[in-house]
Amino acid sequence: MISTQTFAVTTLSSEQESQIRENCVSIKSTLNQLHASDALLRVNRGQVYESMGAKLMNRFNGRLSSNGLDIKGLSLVSDNYQTALTNFRSDYQQYERQLSAAIAIDCTRDPQAFHLSLEEARTKRQKVHDDVIKLHQYIDDYRSAVNDFKLNFERLSEDNK
Amino acid sequence: MADIKETTTPEAVEVIDQDLTFWGQHRFMLLIFGTIIISIGFVAVSLVIYNVSGSAQLDLSRPGYQSVSNQVERDDNIDEYSASGSVNTDAIDDFTKLYDAQAVKAKAVDAFNGDPLNPEILQFGDPSASTE
Repeated sequence: MISTQTFAVTTLSSEQESQIRENCVSIKSTLNQLHASDALLRVNRGQVYESMGAKLMNRFNGRLSSNGLDIKGLSLVSDNYQTALTNFRSDYQQYERQLSAAIAIDCTRDPQAFHLSLEEARTKRQKVHDDVIKLHQYIDDYRSAVNDFKLNFERLSEDNK
Repeated sequence: MADIKETTTPEAVEVIDQDLTFWGQHRFMLLIFGTIIISIGFVAVSLVIYNVSGSAQLDLSRPGYQSVSNQVERDDNIDEYSASGSVNTDAIDDFTKLYDAQAVKAKAVDAFNGDPLNPEILQFGDPSASTE
């Protein structure tokens, strides 16, 4: 289930503004930690997702097609996977830029702008998560497509005997 | 040798300098400045590519990422499936074995889940505010 959530943009109450001003240092520290841990997640997860596509799906498709076999079902899923991977890369890039922009805002001076910027980053992070869910979905879909291919292949092999 | 010495006397140099244009007289400085300007141009182009291509987001050697840079998984121990060879049931089974192992790894982490940017988690969030 993929649900792109857009968070309601709210105007801060004066109480919230003062909370931001008071906790500015600790909020920034939390954001910096999140910034770093998300970057690590992007690098490590990205590596795994890239390998799935390049080292397994594409190679398997290539082997089947070089043997003259019909790979329509498989290549459809792997194309979708590549598109989802491209979206994951670009959505993460946008999220990272937005979070960096939010961190750069002086929250003691302009809590409202800081809050708006954070809300945007929050929406963009949710989008990255949706991309991850899609990638997982396509990984399962490709596995099912391989099963279908195998059944079809076995049936054809028996018919040719 | 005697001829060379004669042509490089201070008087001779002065005569040659007088014949040169302004750019001719300052050609060494021109070379230095030209080199610097070209280098700055190349560096600027590289930085634009670095930022636009998304490489910046993957560069954990940047300031602020030192705490996590040693946690990068550097061992890419995924076996590549051979793109050539015949296709039979065994070859397909080999692939599914590899694929299943990798799929478990890929789906092990529900990355970017949760809502850490929620105002309530960040300690300023009583949502009594008005929605625009």
